[in-house]
Amino acid sequence: MSRLRLAGADGLQPMPGGLLDGLELALQARALSLHYAERRVLDQISLSVPRRRITALIGPSGCGKSSLLRCFNRLNDEIADCRMDGEVQVLGVDAYAADVSVPDLRRRVGMVFQKPNPFPQSVGENVAFGLRLAGLRSRLELDDRVETALRAAGLWDEVRDRLDDSALRLSAGQQQRLVIARALAVEPEVLLMDEPASMLDPISTLRLEELMVALRERYSVLLVTHNMQQAARVADYTAYMQDGRVLEFDTTDRIFTNPRLRGTEDYITGKL
Amino acid sequence: MLRTGTRHAPRRRGDSGLWLAAGAVALSLAALIALLFVLLQQSARPFLPAAVAELRWQGAAGPQQALAAIVREDADELIARASEWQRRGGAYLRIARADLLERTFPPDALALRLADGRELYLRGDAHALAALPSAAGLALPGMPAELPLRRGELVEILAPNQLGPGGRLRVATQRAWAFVSGSPGGDSGSAGLLPALVGTVVLVLLMSVLVMPLGVLVALWLHEYAGRGALAQLLRAAVANLAGVPSVIYGLFGLVLFVHGLGAGLDALFHADALPSPTWGTGGLLWSALTLALLTLPVVVIAVEEGLARVPAGLRQGALALGATRAEMLWRVVLPVARPALLTALILAVARAAGEVAPLMLVGAVKYAPALPLDGEFPYLHLSKQFMHLGHSVYDLALTGADAQRDLGEAHAAALLLLIVVVALNAAAIVVRNRLRERSRELSA
Repeated sequence: MSRLRLAGADGLQPMPGGLLDGLELALQARALSLHYAERRVLDQISLSVPRRRITALIGPSGCGKSSLLRCFNRLNDEIADCRMDGEVQVLGVDAYAADVSVPDLRRRVGMVFQKPNPFPQSVGENVAFGLRLAGLRSRLELDDRVETALRAAGLWDEVRDRLDDSALRLSAGQQQRLVIARALAVEPEVLLMDEPASMLDPISTLRLEELMVALRERYSVLLVTHNMQQAARVADYTAYMQDGRVLEFDTTDRIFTNPRLRGTEDYITGKL
Repeated sequence: MLRTGTRHAPRRRGDSGLWLAAGAVALSLAALIALLFVLLQQSARPFLPAAVAELRWQGAAGPQQALAAIVREDADELIARASEWQRRGGAYLRIARADLLERTFPPDALALRLADGRELYLRGDAHALAALPSAAGLALPGMPAELPLRRGELVEILAPNQLGPGGRLRVATQRAWAFVSGSPGGDSGSAGLLPALVGTVVLVLLMSVLVMPLGVLVALWLHEYAGRGALAQLLRAAVANLAGVPSVIYGLFGLVLFVHGLGAGLDALFHADALPSPTWGTGGLLWSALTLALLTLPVVVIAVEEGLARVPAGLRQGALALGATRAEMLWRVVLPVARPALLTALILAVARAAGEVAPLMLVGAVKYAPALPLDGEFPYLHLSKQFMHLGHSVYDLALTGADAQRDLGEAHAAALLLLIVVVALNAAAIVVRNRLRERSRELSA
């Protein structure tokens, strides 16, 4: 499966020297191509995501950001007719090796979706879902881990008395933080966030961004966003994608103040 | 072009469509109400006590006289029911209006009902008669001497001409209740629907228990695992077409496969010496339930598949992203969310199965099996036994009864009861489904 090619060999821009020097890598894609049936959505992508940093993926709609995200937790496996070439490493291990357990991989690489997707169960059961899957049975420990996760997601104070209520009664912003808590409960190392704030109002978005910055202490975050201000506010590094390729990758500061490519600049400034 | 001026409210297009649709709804409602009305009216007939008249009319051989219950009368003729001294079906009199000489309603006219369903019309004192010890012989004017009767043989003593509307209704209610809660006496002619009622309910419940797991598993395989391969497409087409197969064909299939194949095989293998109890090689409750389960399987599969398709993709991905295997995702998220759809499937299956008669006549429903399929005797649920069914009772009473006037009314009563059973079963499932829906309603928002 892993056909290794050197980055840059196919006309890709090489990584700017020294950008991620000294940083551990959480995720790494090399020469990653993805086809849905005959349609190519990712084209020879190489990207490195550092640990305990927030990396933003920006780019026009349909450029393959979400598809790339789903390569890292193998959610594309569920799509019939989906073919992947190249190499994906998660925390230094080949994620597509034959001996990799996909459920275990997904427990280490949590994901938050664009639309809040709490299960139609109680608030507490939602957060405990992944823990139960992992085989945790002790009521005490479950309660403890649920509380920890809800605190980490900044939701505990709002729902501590409503743990047995239906999760569907929460507001959209609360639901999105609930599914983040649900993802955090299984203690992943990486968090993939696919436009997590696109359905939220400005106040909820602000809270979510504060949460992301707080999560940076312990988690490596790969964030897909259409909101330039959001990328500029929270991300340490930013990658610009277009037509299934990563065209530019740099610190967020440099991407937003001094992009190397004309395309990046046009997109950021809204000319594209 | 810039349009100015007053804005019109959007014109109500398709008014003719509205009228057509409303007309169709009104027609359907009218048909339903007419059906209920006919059922109610016809089924009340055998239970409402008829007035008993002293009739004198011009017969072929001179004037005749009889005490009889008026069954029906119109402008041309009068149909009355005379005392049935011997059991041979109703002793009906048909008298043209022109021949009728005299008709009086004596207040002391009695309508006596015997345990075997016969009715006698005599004159006497109802209270005195009721107070007699059961061994006492009856001595009333007009009784043939060669047919002695004892008080104990009477199950009902009425003076119908003395009853007001309230009294008639009370008697009708009592008789209807006795009919519904009683057991048939076989050759003795007394009627009762209890075994058929219990048989119908037990059969439908058993069918539900059999068809739901199977149907859900088939739907899960088709929708979640099979993909779009040739085999899956073939199976889907087969399921869709099976839904349209006439039910009697399922009955024939059940007879060959279950009764003659599986049942006879079981008998030969395991307890050839213990026959005839239990006998699996004849029609029975289990084989009927299995046949109905096959009959309703396509309905369940199609409804469940639709329900699975409506489960939001976000929930599936959310579960997978948390490390759920495919089976865990289906079991813990998809199926719970699809529960209202499962109940819809059950409702459709029950509605289809509860009214079926044709296949049951081949695999286990019989005219007369007074023992209930469910009782206090081990093994409590008698799966191998033949049973009675309300649908079969309707057919039987309507076509094969000895007393057409009364049995047709009783057939309507059985039909009404069957309708009530189906509606009650459906209503129960709908209540449960709506409760579940309230919980998952916000999902679709």
